[in-house]
Amino acid sequence: MNNVIYILVQIVVILAVAPLVNGINRKVKALSQKRKGAPPWQMYFDLYKLLKKNTVVSNVSSWVFKAAPYIVFATALAGALLVPVTSKLAGSHIPGDFILLIYILALGRFFMMAAALDTGSTFGGMGSSREAMISSLIEPSILVSLFTLGLIARSFSLPEIIMSVQNTGIPLSNPVYIMVFLAMVIVLIAEACRIPVDDPSTHLELTMIHEAMILEYSGRHLAFMEYGAAVKQLIFMTLLVNIFLPTDQFITLSGLLAVVLSLIMYVLKIIVVAMVIAMIEIKTVKLRLFSIPNLAALAFILAFLGILQYFILGGGYA
Amino acid sequence: MLEFVKILSVLILLSAFVLMGNKRINSYIETFRVQSLFIALMAGINGIIMLRTEGRFDLLAICVLILVLKVIYIPGLLHRTYAHVKYEVEKDFILNIPILISVCSGLVVFTYFCLGTLSSIIPNSIILQLVNSVSVIWIGLFFMISRKKAIGQIIGFLVIENGLFVTTMLGTEGMPFIVDLGLFIDLITAILIMGILVFRINDLFDSIDTDQLNKLKG
Amino acid sequence: MLFYAAYLFKSSLILYILAALIALLMTKNQKTCNILVNSICILSALLGAAASVLKLTSGVDTLPLIQVHSVVPFISISMTIDNLSAYFILALSILVCCVSVYSLGYISSYIGQRNVALFYFLYTTFILSMILVLTSDNAIFFYISWEVMSLLSYFLVVFESEKSESQRAGKLYIIMTHLATAFLLVGFMIIYSYTKSFDFGLGSAAAIMPDSIKNIVFIMFLIGFGTKAGIIPLHIWLPSAHPAAPSNISALMSGIMIKTAIYGLIRFIPGCLGVEHSWWGITILALGIVSAVLGVAYALMEHNIKRLLAFSSVENIGIILIGLGVCFIALAQNNQLISSLALTAALLHTFNHALFKGGLFLGAGSIQYAAHTRDIEKLGGLIKKMPLTGFFVLCFSLAISAIVPFNGFISEWLAYQSLYAFMINGETGLNILFILAVAALGLAGALAAACFVKLFGFSFLGLSRSEQALRAEEVPLSMNIAMGILTFLCLLSGLFPLVALKLIDPVTVSLGGSSIFSTLRGGFLIVYYPLEAAGNTISPLIFVIFLVIFIALILLAARVVGGKYLERRYGTWDCGFEALNSRMQYSATGYAKPIKIVFRILFKPTRQVVMEGDSIYHPDAIQYKTSYTSIFVKYLYHPILLAVKDFAKITKYKIQTGSIHSYLLYIFIAVMAMMLYNRFL
Repeated sequence: MNNVIYILVQIVVILAVAPLVNGINRKVKALSQKRKGAPPWQMYFDLYKLLKKNTVVSNVSSWVFKAAPYIVFATALAGALLVPVTSKLAGSHIPGDFILLIYILALGRFFMMAAALDTGSTFGGMGSSREAMISSLIEPSILVSLFTLGLIARSFSLPEIIMSVQNTGIPLSNPVYIMVFLAMVIVLIAEACRIPVDDPSTHLELTMIHEAMILEYSGRHLAFMEYGAAVKQLIFMTLLVNIFLPTDQFITLSGLLAVVLSLIMYVLKIIVVAMVIAMIEIKTVKLRLFSIPNLAALAFILAFLGILQYFILGGGYA
Repeated sequence: MLEFVKILSVLILLSAFVLMGNKRINSYIETFRVQSLFIALMAGINGIIMLRTEGRFDLLAICVLILVLKVIYIPGLLHRTYAHVKYEVEKDFILNIPILISVCSGLVVFTYFCLGTLSSIIPNSIILQLVNSVSVIWIGLFFMISRKKAIGQIIGFLVIENGLFVTTMLGTEGMPFIVDLGLFIDLITAILIMGILVFRINDLFDSIDTDQLNKLKG
Repeated sequence: MLFYAAYLFKSSLILYILAALIALLMTKNQKTCNILVNSICILSALLGAAASVLKLTSGVDTLPLIQVHSVVPFISISMTIDNLSAYFILALSILVCCVSVYSLGYISSYIGQRNVALFYFLYTTFILSMILVLTSDNAIFFYISWEVMSLLSYFLVVFESEKSESQRAGKLYIIMTHLATAFLLVGFMIIYSYTKSFDFGLGSAAAIMPDSIKNIVFIMFLIGFGTKAGIIPLHIWLPSAHPAAPSNISALMSGIMIKTAIYGLIRFIPGCLGVEHSWWGITILALGIVSAVLGVAYALMEHNIKRLLAFSSVENIGIILIGLGVCFIALAQNNQLISSLALTAALLHTFNHALFKGGLFLGAGSIQYAAHTRDIEKLGGLIKKMPLTGFFVLCFSLAISAIVPFNGFISEWLAYQSLYAFMINGETGLNILFILAVAALGLAGALAAACFVKLFGFSFLGLSRSEQALRAEEVPLSMNIAMGILTFLCLLSGLFPLVALKLIDPVTVSLGGSSIFSTLRGGFLIVYYPLEAAGNTISPLIFVIFLVIFIALILLAARVVGGKYLERRYGTWDCGFEALNSRMQYSATGYAKPIKIVFRILFKPTRQVVMEGDSIYHPDAIQYKTSYTSIFVKYLYHPILLAVKDFAKITKYKIQTGSIHSYLLYIFIAVMAMMLYNRFL
């Protein structure tokens, strides 16, 4: 029963918040350009509208093209089950660790990259090729960062990691966590296709990566692709806020109220992070494609220094 | 308080990495400024601790000196020097940045290997800071090797000095005040001489590329 | 039970011999020969698999099979099956069974064009020689079987002998494999000089030999077996030999033959020498890291499907070696649980790799069968013509990229866990290496995904890039059945990893480790990581169930919210050029280019653009050539070759003078030296 509640809460919260993040992001960007911008909840309407529309499918494509949106969305949701939005629903346990999370998301990515090649369009190949490069450059950083956290928590399961962080005081006052945090921010930017790695609002073939892969999609397929990307972005944000900015330890209540309170805190934190990401996007320019390895190298160095500091200190963080 | 010192030591190391990743000479100087600021903060925190426990104020004085010299005066001097020489955007480093950065992380691992066994003498957190600050010295030295322009060498030299300063501050709880003072005076003299040299090199070769010095051997 | 196992093994051996004889006798009637030999092979493979499973579950370690002694000293046929052999024979049998089903259709295209009977004779004796390698109980017999295996595989590599590509590949292969065998022989001889016996007694050599000699023997074995396994930098024969052989043979070579080297490493290093130094494991781990990353990086640059798969074998050997290296380090430190965990990871990956790499080579064979080309740049759109083959290749691609519901993920997960278990114990210096191994596994996984998206996407999706690809048709049913079985097994052992782990458990136990299986908890369907019980559980099955439920719910939600699904078929967006043709598609070269540029230090890419015509702004034709050089060939093999050549030149001019007198002088000196040796030593 606990598990059913946990799964329902996860799915409902993630599904509800994911489009909001994009909306806030766009709103902040619009305000910075002295535009009024669409309301933060615009993406909900967009998704609804896309669902109602007819779908155009390329003559060239095969079943892979049509299956990909569903698989991308379903893998993102399945991955979301592993990243608890609140630690107040403890006791429930989905067997899985962050390695499973990474490789579940890889399933979605594999299909997205394959589907981009399915239409025979040049844009698709280009996006797929760039995504292949960026994902392979960023993968070691994700693994090393999460490995560090796993070593500190003495467990790979994300609920355990999140629980353990709550006992360490302020995580960001600790050199290991700072390094890993900075690495994870770069990972988040790369995985969520944000500036400076990718520009979500461009449709210029020189610059687009994620958009190039989903260029041929329309109607409900496009809706699921975009929703899936939003959910994936939220997964990484959730990792960031729940590990590095824990607030659940301050909630001394128990029961339903605690869950609600912690969820409110969670949504607030996500909104703040979404705004910060938007600020980063405003302040920086998109990197040239072949400068991205430098950024990825930075992320890896940060993660590596983080785990090095952990080893030097003899693992005395548990 | 100690937590902050730990974080600062990591940030100093990180700034050395950032320095290695910089492409423009102006950003070298700015990164050096930031690094010095961290060191000043570290000296300040240690100074406050020392003032409380032993009643000595030398570290605080040194903190002020660092702020004045390394954060304000020397970067400004370097900026001015650089403004006078001919400005060209060209590749200043001998290898690609990811390779340079991986060499640097190799240096950190190397330092860790050499110093990691000291654990019987000093507690872990000191080792952490020792490893970080000695790595900064290494990276500074490597930075001097990896850059072609004379300004790069000056910055590398300053970074080595920064690393040495942090190492001594941690290792010995601060050197005698007079020694530090002497060091700073040496530093200023060195920078002034180097600054003048940069002008001379520029006059002679129309460039501050130190590879040109090869031509001197006749 | 055990009695039946031995009985089944023997009958399976006899059946293989029978199949070889039948192939020899039926040179005239090739069609019958094809069917008959393959059916016998399938039968005996099934017997072998059943026997292995019986053996592994029986709980008894060694099972002597055949002991025949001859009058010639040391030469005796002695075959014993212990758990390690049984495990490898199980993998072999499963793959042989599928490959034989596949050959029914695949070889039928050879009938009338080539000597199919000869092919089947080589094929069955090749399988037999691998079984002999895996079961021999005596170094001399092992050595002979190893040589026979190498020679037979050489003949199979050059089976299409009129092609110059095959000849070159065969030459390289035979040189490399013989060099390696020389190292093995030296290793065996050194062991013999101490133990005075060629039998593989467990740990017999360990007690007698001094440390420095053990180190030398280790290096000999590492080079000898490493060359067969294809670890970098000894891998150069592999990417040319695999493509040259017929695809069913490539599947066997990559699936099992290179794994006999892994078998050798496990059999001789912990078994015979005993691991006492950490640096053995560290060396293997470092080689594994290098092989895993570089193997897949080179695979990504290849556009010949089978060369790509061959490089990917190098990567997977690297992953196996990472597991093996961790195991050896743990053994040197007497950490039983971690060593067993790491060994389990390595063995499981060996098995898994046999399944999916075997399947991928069969898929490559199907592509060649249908489209008559192995060049990815000439394929495309095959999924509409060959839907089944496409689906199976997609599944194998997912499995080899270690993606969730398939078996590749389980073994990589176990490798991560063994690294984690080691790191949490806090051994300072090695941790850096372990974290590099983690990063390497991650990088290799992501690059493998990119590589197999390329393989699958460019050969099966999009528009056909050549006439041949346009005319391709679905391959015969038997070929698809074989691939279907392998796909099913990949999925099965991915979803129910405990089935495979239960079979590995006796192996690790009999090698002196502790049982991983007995510490697994959480029911039949869940792999439970035993060391730090607080967490680290995965259950792929639950996630597949979730995925299915989610997809169903998504479809339902789309129906409820969006109404009926209305689809319009229309051309791909062509930027207003009207006719999008296959030449406008992205090419596989272009696909790999960003990664080529990022890792240019490994590839040293060169390019050449030639414009033809009067104006550079309106050239009549543009030629764009791009190539890369392997740093190992350039900086390791070329200098060695040059040195050998120079040495040969010196001998030619200085020693081989052509004068009869100097030759007589050599003999004179040689005899004198021998007599002096006799006098003084």
